[in-house]
Amino acid sequence: MKLLAFRIRNFRSIIDTGWHTLSSDNITGLIGQNESGKTSILEALNSFYDGKISEDTLRSDLSMPVVSCLFSVDHDNEIADILKEKLLPAGVIEQIRADKSVSLERQWNEDLSSRILLGGEKVMALFDQHDEVVAAKDARIEEAINSVLQKKKDVIASFQQAENERLAIETRLNDAKATVNEISRALKAKGKKDAEEKKKLQNQLAASKNKVNEIKNLLNEKSQEVQKLNKDVQAVAEEARYAEMSKEAWREFEAIQREQNEVFGRLTNLQRLYDHALSEKERRAIQLEMDGVNDRYMKLLKEYEQARERAIKRRLMAYKIHEGLPPAAAEKETEREKPHINPFYTRLEAGSLIMEHIPEFVMFEDFSSLLPNRIDLDDILNGNAATEGYKAARNFLEVAGLNEAFFRESNSRILKQKIEKLNRDLTVDFQDFWQQRIGRHNKITINFELEHYDHTHPDKSGFPYLEFWVKDRQERLYPKQRSRGVRWFLSFYLELKAAISHKDFKGKVLLIDEPGLSLHARAQEDVLKVFEHIKDKVQVIYTTHSPHLIDIKKLYRLLAVQRNIHNDENSETEVFDAKSLTSATADTLSPIYTLMGSRLSEQQFIQKKNNIILEDLTNYYYFSAFHALLGYPPEAFFLPATDVSNVQTLVNLLMGWGLEFIVVTDESPEGLKTYQDLKKSVYGNDDNKIREKVILMEGFQGVEDLFSTLDFKKHVLHQRIGIPESNSDYVRDNKLSRTLLASDFLKSIQEMKITDFDEETRENIENVFQAIVERLQP
Amino acid sequence: MAKRDELREEMERQRDEIIRQRNEIIQSIQYASLIQTSLLPQKKQIDKVFPRNFVLYLPKNIVSGDFYWMVSRGRKAYFAVADCTGHGVPGALMSILGISFLNEIVTLRVNLPANRILNLLREMVMKALHQTGDSTEALDGMDISLCIYDQEKNILQYAGANHPLYIIRGDVVIEYKPDRMPIGVSGIEEQPFTNRYVELKKNDTLYLFTDGYVDQFGGSEGRKFKFDPFRSLLLKIARLPMKTQKKVLLETFEEWKGEYIQVDDILVMGIKIP
Repeated sequence: MKLLAFRIRNFRSIIDTGWHTLSSDNITGLIGQNESGKTSILEALNSFYDGKISEDTLRSDLSMPVVSCLFSVDHDNEIADILKEKLLPAGVIEQIRADKSVSLERQWNEDLSSRILLGGEKVMALFDQHDEVVAAKDARIEEAINSVLQKKKDVIASFQQAENERLAIETRLNDAKATVNEISRALKAKGKKDAEEKKKLQNQLAASKNKVNEIKNLLNEKSQEVQKLNKDVQAVAEEARYAEMSKEAWREFEAIQREQNEVFGRLTNLQRLYDHALSEKERRAIQLEMDGVNDRYMKLLKEYEQARERAIKRRLMAYKIHEGLPPAAAEKETEREKPHINPFYTRLEAGSLIMEHIPEFVMFEDFSSLLPNRIDLDDILNGNAATEGYKAARNFLEVAGLNEAFFRESNSRILKQKIEKLNRDLTVDFQDFWQQRIGRHNKITINFELEHYDHTHPDKSGFPYLEFWVKDRQERLYPKQRSRGVRWFLSFYLELKAAISHKDFKGKVLLIDEPGLSLHARAQEDVLKVFEHIKDKVQVIYTTHSPHLIDIKKLYRLLAVQRNIHNDENSETEVFDAKSLTSATADTLSPIYTLMGSRLSEQQFIQKKNNIILEDLTNYYYFSAFHALLGYPPEAFFLPATDVSNVQTLVNLLMGWGLEFIVVTDESPEGLKTYQDLKKSVYGNDDNKIREKVILMEGFQGVEDLFSTLDFKKHVLHQRIGIPESNSDYVRDNKLSRTLLASDFLKSIQEMKITDFDEETRENIENVFQAIVERLQP
Repeated sequence: MAKRDELREEMERQRDEIIRQRNEIIQSIQYASLIQTSLLPQKKQIDKVFPRNFVLYLPKNIVSGDFYWMVSRGRKAYFAVADCTGHGVPGALMSILGISFLNEIVTLRVNLPANRILNLLREMVMKALHQTGDSTEALDGMDISLCIYDQEKNILQYAGANHPLYIIRGDVVIEYKPDRMPIGVSGIEEQPFTNRYVELKKNDTLYLFTDGYVDQFGGSEGRKFKFDPFRSLLLKIARLPMKTQKKVLLETFEEWKGEYIQVDDILVMGIKIP
């Protein structure tokens, strides 16, 4: 796997870098001014790997950092092989195969803990889709359970209502019966002579009996309804009992969850108090309380799992019963299905597993990475990383292939010989990297000795320590006595060697902040050579503002880093990749400008079109002046190469970026050679093609020759001496500074001291500019 | 008596010495004259381009500060008439410099227009004489009319440093005025020379000349000959055969000069366009 790209959010000055691709040839440089956020990018990448961030990494709005990295997938089954224990949502593996890459995302929480998730938009969408299906299923189950409970509630309500109605009818029946009785009694009390009254009562009685019968019928119907509803209640009661049990289990689970969160909050709070405790007594008290809370938390963790399992199982069982399974069968089925165990990887699980296979990210830092004078053997063997020079010393042992056993050699003579041989091997290799002359004979050796503390260190007396020496023929010095440059390079070399020589080497991303800051220019170029040398095995991401650490032919390696608002250290950091470098500010691009040798403040740098590549700064000044004087073409961006021999580099660069350009060169031997080289290497030896892009100023050995001798004397040399030779020859023969003359001339033009030339000069300049206009884009 | 004899002998000895030295100098200058003459174009060389031509060349002394020059390059003929400051030996030396420079220019710099040849010639002279425009230095240099004749197109380029060009076409004298500056440093800063293109017609007659002829004192009042009479004279003789023209010019000059001494070197070149 190889790191392909990164995206950083909410990390120090960074809000969101967006995705940025690293150079495909494994060397990526971050250029930018101090405080632009270059180092933050390295730190963010390092934090992505080790998960560690500090409070001061957080942004003031407390939005939590997220760092995403994209890794290449080396073969079709790489991810499937890593994630083979469980299932992945449908389409995830296929998507990763199609992308040939996998994205991991580290998210930090407020307590600065973090988690790694499998990322990538499409992959995440597949997980979301899967989660939606699972959630839909859960919702369906939940709905079913709720419907059971609702049903029970409804049925009971109906039953209650029917029963009440039945009771009311019963009351009405009794009332009707009483009326019948009353009328009967009244009828019996009447004699024969009250025939008419009797008749009336008899009618009333008949009507009341009818009513009684009516109500009896009604009651009968209601009683039947009540009986039916009672049966319904009985029927739903069993199903509802399981639904209620499920609900109860979830309530318990949620309560435990709440408590767990609360206890965790207390725990982190206590931890904070502990960290800031002023006295040992206070600390002990907090520790005591913390122990108690911790116990509770551990217990809750266990309870949580149990409650979760119970809740999930009960819910499924309730659902199955609702679907018609008898309780016993439903329980059996649920046990078999183990619903509490997710058969699918979560993004968290998948991410964590893949994380184990990514290359190791290593930050090369001065404090622990610079070779110390001495270090206790115990500190190395016990992994005491806080010891100064720990990393460098570890690297040293790693490179030398040493482990604890080596130092157990009881025969001191053999041990000495072994050490000597190792010292020699290390030195030879080191010389391959290091081109600088050190001392008179350009030969240094790294020596180390195993020594033991004597009585002058009573606390350590008898303990072994390693002592390092850097020797040339003249001197034997401690690392710290050597120049910082030598020490840096040496330690850097150890880091690389260690990285490559590691037994289970799985690739490495080396993050280096300002490499070789203490090295002089040539040695910095050596650093770049070392990067080239190791790039097949180690990916390097480095920050720099040194032009010596930039290969002008490989600008695609660069990412430009700058603040959103120029010179505002509180504004957001933004990153530009090679294709959009031109959007970065001149300050950010200053190392590139330096390489190109132009004046920064006045440089418009490369545009999308109408770039005119010139041989050098002298040409740049003269052409800028001519352009100012002529006033056309409206858009012309002059790009000076540092020398005519570098024109081709610029051509390649602009072609690589897909930017439009033309070239103007003179007929000096060097100019002609450049023309021929371009014709051969870029324009397929086709005269017509090269003429479309490259203007050869025929008859002119140098840009100075565009002037008539008179104008050259008058406006450039400011002399009246006779110059029969060409202007360019005169300047060369008299060892005058071309650049100075040219820049003075430009200044005169800008100050409007010169407004016109004679006909010869005008004709020459107009001819060249006409040729330029013909070749520029409209 | 003896003393007088001694004195006379001494004087005679000195006279002889002077005569010897003078003869040596004259011999030397005569030899120099040979060299100078050999540097001038040969008649057949001019005839080849312009079959009808004449050159009236009358040095004031044995050697001359005036010179004429012609070189053919392909279809183009470059020719000039020049007058160097001073006459006699200093002028001659300067003329040799001028001839060499002109040869160098047309050999090394192909297709330069006439004015640029003069620009360049001026640069060379200034460099050779270490002129820097300092007001205390000598203003040595030369005046010149320079032409380039394109035989195919029948077009003439002319550039002049203080020397005009006369072309007589029919009854008209067409005067091409020179730039008023010498080849060499002068009081004012150097300016580029002007180039003139002239479409020639058959039988046009070109006259290039130094100012010796017009500056010659003579006549009944001992004044200068001047340009107007010279122009009239040329107009009168332009249709005559070239040999006759030369003869008339010479005779007119001798007649005008009369008993006056020749003031300066005389050079007139006449060319009939074929």
